[in-house]
Amino acid sequence: MTTSIILETPSPTLGLIPENGLSVVHTSPPRVDGLEKVTGSALYAADYSFPGMLYGKILRSKHAHARIVHIDKSKALALEGVKAVITHADAPKELHAGSPAPRVGQMVADQYVLAEKARYFGDGIAAVAAVSEEILEEALHLIEVEYEPLPAVFDMVEAMKPDAPSIHGTERNLVGPPFIIERGDVEEGFAQAETIFEGHYETGRPVPCYMEPNACVCRWDRGGKLTIWSSTQCAFMVRGILSQVLGIPAHDVRVIVEHMGGGFGAKQDLYQHEFVCAILARETRRPVKMEYSRKESFLGGRSRHPIKITLKQGLGKDGLLTAREVRLVSNTGGYASHGLGITAVGCLDIASLYRCEKNLKIEGISVYTNNPIAGAYRGFGAVQAFFALETQIDEMAVASGVDPLDFRLKNIVGDGDLSPSEHHILGDGLAVCLRRGAEEMGWYERKKMGRNNSSPLKRGWGVGTEMHSSGAYPDIEEQSNAIIRMNEDGTVNLIIGMADLGTGTRTMAAQIAAEVLGISLGEIRVIDGDTDVTPFDIGAYASRTTYVGGGAVLKAANHLKKQLLELASERLECPLEDLSLIEGRVFAKNAPNEGIAVRDLVSGEGGRPPRTLIGQGNNEPTVAYSFGAHFAEVEVDTEIGQIKVLQVIAVHEIGRAINPVAVAGQIEGGIQQGIGHALTEDFIIDKKTGRPLNPSFVDYKMPLALDMPKIKTIILEEFPDPSGPFGAKGIGEDPIIPIGPAIGNAVYEATGVRMRELPITPEKFLKAFAET
Amino acid sequence: MKHMVSTIINGERRELAIKPYRSLLDVLRNEAELTGSKKGCDVGDCGACTVILDGKPINSCLVLGVEVDGSEITTIEGLADHTAPGAPLHPLQESILQHGGAQCGFCTPGILMAAKALLDETPRPTDEEARFAIAGNLCRCTGYTKIVESILSISGSEGAL
Repeated sequence: MTTSIILETPSPTLGLIPENGLSVVHTSPPRVDGLEKVTGSALYAADYSFPGMLYGKILRSKHAHARIVHIDKSKALALEGVKAVITHADAPKELHAGSPAPRVGQMVADQYVLAEKARYFGDGIAAVAAVSEEILEEALHLIEVEYEPLPAVFDMVEAMKPDAPSIHGTERNLVGPPFIIERGDVEEGFAQAETIFEGHYETGRPVPCYMEPNACVCRWDRGGKLTIWSSTQCAFMVRGILSQVLGIPAHDVRVIVEHMGGGFGAKQDLYQHEFVCAILARETRRPVKMEYSRKESFLGGRSRHPIKITLKQGLGKDGLLTAREVRLVSNTGGYASHGLGITAVGCLDIASLYRCEKNLKIEGISVYTNNPIAGAYRGFGAVQAFFALETQIDEMAVASGVDPLDFRLKNIVGDGDLSPSEHHILGDGLAVCLRRGAEEMGWYERKKMGRNNSSPLKRGWGVGTEMHSSGAYPDIEEQSNAIIRMNEDGTVNLIIGMADLGTGTRTMAAQIAAEVLGISLGEIRVIDGDTDVTPFDIGAYASRTTYVGGGAVLKAANHLKKQLLELASERLECPLEDLSLIEGRVFAKNAPNEGIAVRDLVSGEGGRPPRTLIGQGNNEPTVAYSFGAHFAEVEVDTEIGQIKVLQVIAVHEIGRAINPVAVAGQIEGGIQQGIGHALTEDFIIDKKTGRPLNPSFVDYKMPLALDMPKIKTIILEEFPDPSGPFGAKGIGEDPIIPIGPAIGNAVYEATGVRMRELPITPEKFLKAFAET
Repeated sequence: MKHMVSTIINGERRELAIKPYRSLLDVLRNEAELTGSKKGCDVGDCGACTVILDGKPINSCLVLGVEVDGSEITTIEGLADHTAPGAPLHPLQESILQHGGAQCGFCTPGILMAAKALLDETPRPTDEEARFAIAGNLCRCTGYTKIVESILSISGSEGAL
């Protein structure tokens, strides 16, 4: 078999699990929306059509940096079938942050719907609505744009020089002030060190490549209300930002997300089409559909931030770290998006993982360039920061003659140490993951067969670790809400604000509710993805959905259960504390064979109408941490530079797996993306023109089914967190983080070549190999 | 100028008026109102639009609608027994559900059609044959492991669970 899952549940339950155990949570039923997905009946944004619907498309800049001198739209408007053409002159002059994180100082409002200046190749500068997609294409060619090309800058270091072209008029093209962490005295820390290590690390520009290109359909009613069917992770944020930019109140914007084809963080942002589509629909008084092509999803989408990190650490005689100094620069492209946020998270993450709390100095900055926009992407800042840290830790171990695993176990953070968010860590999750993985693969017994054999094919193992917060606290004050309504027949509608971008949110929520209420999954219908109907939720990101949103469901279900028991207490004439709810019936302690069906409590009888019971849950936790360690075996062909990942052992400590198969699915998918980041995936921008060179799946290489290695997934539940539902913590982002350094460290073990830049392409490897 | 095309889609004869430059994918999604086949790239790179045309899996975005006159097409909507309403799922659909082989579900219709074409020809594929059959179907959620498991477990192949 190609894969296997091992689920290990030790004894501690901390009272988070019912006395008689779990019956729905901690099992892996098929996803509740699965039938729709396997039969082709699941509707995604682009599947919606309406009578009279028009199609919209964006005209994109052919310059990376240019002032728009004049746009002549008369020829396009004259084309039969064209219904509207809009430019910056027709769009609201309202700056927005493009990205949904309210109440957070880190977002920078630097985008107009359509600007008078193009800041990257592909920046949208005009848009058309027409009766068919064919006419759209023709109309785009008929729009005449006079550009005044401006000098452009693509390298983040160049962009900070005094004579660099200014992209947004900020000093040195910085997005905002530096993010700084200082603890103790870093100079003193280096003075105490026996050895000092310093290195430069760099990560590429991978793209999320969600399979569903961005799409939306907009429709206004005559009363001035907009409904938008969109592929977004953050329906309420789309509502908020559209409301702001269009100048209409929140209740006049309804955002509907039925199914979405992945997002991986990037679909937190509003892209230009959502605004443009709403404006075109308002102007034409007809529904408008906009679908990005795959090329547009690259050009006008969001990549991961390329980051350069200079990392310096001191190592004492006793094998402990004495100081850490970091400078981190992120390249955010033409607009800020999450530039400041990922820089801050990268800095906070690199402050932790290995104990160095006393002498620490970290500075992070984010820089504008004329590249396509970098935004939020699974592993937000952590992927880059931990690649640098985990690579250097390996270098330090090798240089000091200590086994890399032992070196890690000696320095890794554990129970009570400071986490990235400066909370005290709960549990020795990292050490447990490292030990469990080492045991599974036989770390100490492994044959280091790489460097000494005479074959050009060299094999080696490497390890990488990570820890990740469940939720975005303290950057965001976490909050989720759920409403659960019991119908007169005892069935339940569970109403959640969370989005299901494919991860299994609906199933997780239904499992938690079913567990609490003692009913089957079939008796629960989840209602989600409609801002007119569901309670507020900030969105699906930051590995927060199970931890924060699942917690809200738990509270709502308990609230409903309380009401049911109160009703039963009256009917059975039995005190509350003597009642239990099991498989849809309430039993009194002294009469275990009788009891009353939940349905009979709410159905009404004898002239009394049915009752509607509503449970409500609001959850505002702080943060919990999940932990992980990946062990990867690679084979390097030192003649052609090709690197194959042969197998991966992935160990994750997540407190409690609500649905173990769904958890394993997150881990396996994260590993696929992480292998891509490490070896092949890089969105390449021409350094002279800013033109993207590989905006397609043929030229941008993701791992395919044939490329994936064997994966053994080990899910540990050693440290359930009291603030998570049944002790559960997040898993969404964790698995993409440690695989990269594990691969890089394995390449070192196999070949003696230390790769400090991702992706490790054959060209880069061969160059480094020749120099060694 | 439209051309009339007569074709059998999921067992039902359809007479469709098609512009000569429309892809089969656009025809299926619009003229035939079958939105199960997905447009992930429109240039034959991703496989989300895979349908079975006269017994062979094809990227429907790379075939012109006017080319299918007289042909027989099966789309995801016709994978289960389309002649009987309420009929059980195709074993592949059931298996994807049971193994967690669908996450966002956008690639799932194409994967299922490619896998059906594989099993029609090779009822007991090896792990490598299963991976080869879906090598043209991109998935960004699952890492493919659960998809391959889904295919192998119903075929009773070596290495199945």
